[in-house]
Amino acid sequence: MLDSSARASAEQVDGPSTGIFIRDIEKVFQAGDTSVRAIDRIDLTIAEGEFLCIVGPSGCGKTTLLRILGGLETPSRGEVEINIRHENRPVQSMVFQEQGVFPWLSALDNAAFGLQARGVPKKERRKQASAMLKKLGLSGFEDTYPRELSGGMRQRVNLARAFANDPAILLMDEPLGALDEQTKMLVQDDLLKLWEESRKTVLFITHSLDEAVTLGDRVAVMSHRPGRIKAMFDIDLPRPRNALEIRNNPEFIEVRRKVWEALRDEVLFARKAEHE
Amino acid sequence: MSDLISAPKTSDKPKDSPTFWRKYQGMISSIGSPILLLILWEIGARTGFLDARILPPPTAVAVTIWDMIENEQLLQQTGVTALRFLVGMIVGTVPGIMLGLTMGLFRPVRVALNPLVAILYPVPRIALFPLVLILVGLNETSNIIMIAIGPFFTMLITAMGAVINVEPIYRDVARNFGVKPRQLYFTVTLPAVLPAIMSGVLVSLGLALLGTVAVEFLVSTKGLGYVIWNSWQVLSLKQSMAGLVVAAILGAATYIAMDWLERWIIPWQRTVTKR
Repeated sequence: MLDSSARASAEQVDGPSTGIFIRDIEKVFQAGDTSVRAIDRIDLTIAEGEFLCIVGPSGCGKTTLLRILGGLETPSRGEVEINIRHENRPVQSMVFQEQGVFPWLSALDNAAFGLQARGVPKKERRKQASAMLKKLGLSGFEDTYPRELSGGMRQRVNLARAFANDPAILLMDEPLGALDEQTKMLVQDDLLKLWEESRKTVLFITHSLDEAVTLGDRVAVMSHRPGRIKAMFDIDLPRPRNALEIRNNPEFIEVRRKVWEALRDEVLFARKAEHE
Repeated sequence: MSDLISAPKTSDKPKDSPTFWRKYQGMISSIGSPILLLILWEIGARTGFLDARILPPPTAVAVTIWDMIENEQLLQQTGVTALRFLVGMIVGTVPGIMLGLTMGLFRPVRVALNPLVAILYPVPRIALFPLVLILVGLNETSNIIMIAIGPFFTMLITAMGAVINVEPIYRDVARNFGVKPRQLYFTVTLPAVLPAIMSGVLVSLGLALLGTVAVEFLVSTKGLGYVIWNSWQVLSLKQSMAGLVVAAILGAATYIAMDWLERWIIPWQRTVTKR
């Protein structure tokens, strides 16, 4: 932790004083005699209340970075400082991929899972969880098991679980990757609405450029493995955004093109490396 | 020739009967086929096409069952078999599940015990009977052990495999949402492995019944297995057949009871087939 005077000066030079500060993070996975460097010296600052999307080629370590922030991995070197006020709520919650919804819990119990783990009384957590399900258009499905839900609905249960937990930071790991293109747009729209009213700090991993540009305040492009931050783009599209319309916006198309230029070489390189 | 694809012609006058047939088709077929078989068997035995001394007609078997119920012999024997089966099932499955879960959860235990399981599991279980008799003695305990061995290994292997194969993402979710390591077992591992355990129990039911009848063939002087084997040895085939029918009913009844129990224990698995 920086002391307060150092932070004040850092603010003038480096930008925000509250947020997530990732400094010189490195992660090496050891499997027997071979070691794989998943991410290599990442420096990244995410301001409080910012929606940051990270795109990168497959296997570039973007999920590893997210898992470090989510407390599921420890970095091999470097540090993460989280300087966001969270008072009585949890610091962070992750939104996992679709299969992260528990099949043995009803939609309501899934949505209330984080609250239950934190010991929130049953009545209270049910109230909050069902309010969140309602916001996501899942009223009437409270007692339904995930198996009976469509992929899009299951993913909205997943979102409800994280949002109902009301964390300061949301970490999303390609949550919409398994959905078909149209359902994806609808869920993106739900996500935009939820976020725009809560303004949580979000780190969103995706390999879809459209998704990154649609949702994010900024888009970071990661290099092929070992992953580094290669480029950063500000997405100045006005909010509130509409996921169903935004793709025809000329500004959207322009910024998407720029991001793709940065990403293209990395994708091609990653493919070449895969074939060797 | 025109290549026209059209809907199949449906009957002009929709009646009640085709919808009735469509609705209950499965039920009618599944009840109908065994009844048809019994009728053919009855006719075959009555007309002399089948030798009634070797294959007594179903009605004769039914009469025999009734007689045996009346002189209280059958219910008693069924009770003996049912009790053995139940005790053997519990003695086999419960420790099997416990040990399997432990082996799945703790690698050192798994590494230590896996070779033993690998050696013992494939041994034909009935071949162990003489050994068990020598070690335990010619008594009910050795009978129960014989019945329990099949379910024990089945549950051990099923439970261990299920724990090892729990989707890692479930544990990640639980950890991320702040579930403490010692609560992980009840919040994630147990519900995640329950479906596999329930299928293992269904397999074990068959094995336990097999074991029960085998033990009664070999050493017992009571039970349905004894009735079946002893009656056959004195060429009282009607009684032998009667014992067989009751054993089959016992097996089917337990299977149905388990199926019902499964719906109750793991409701999330069955919901898809509800319609």
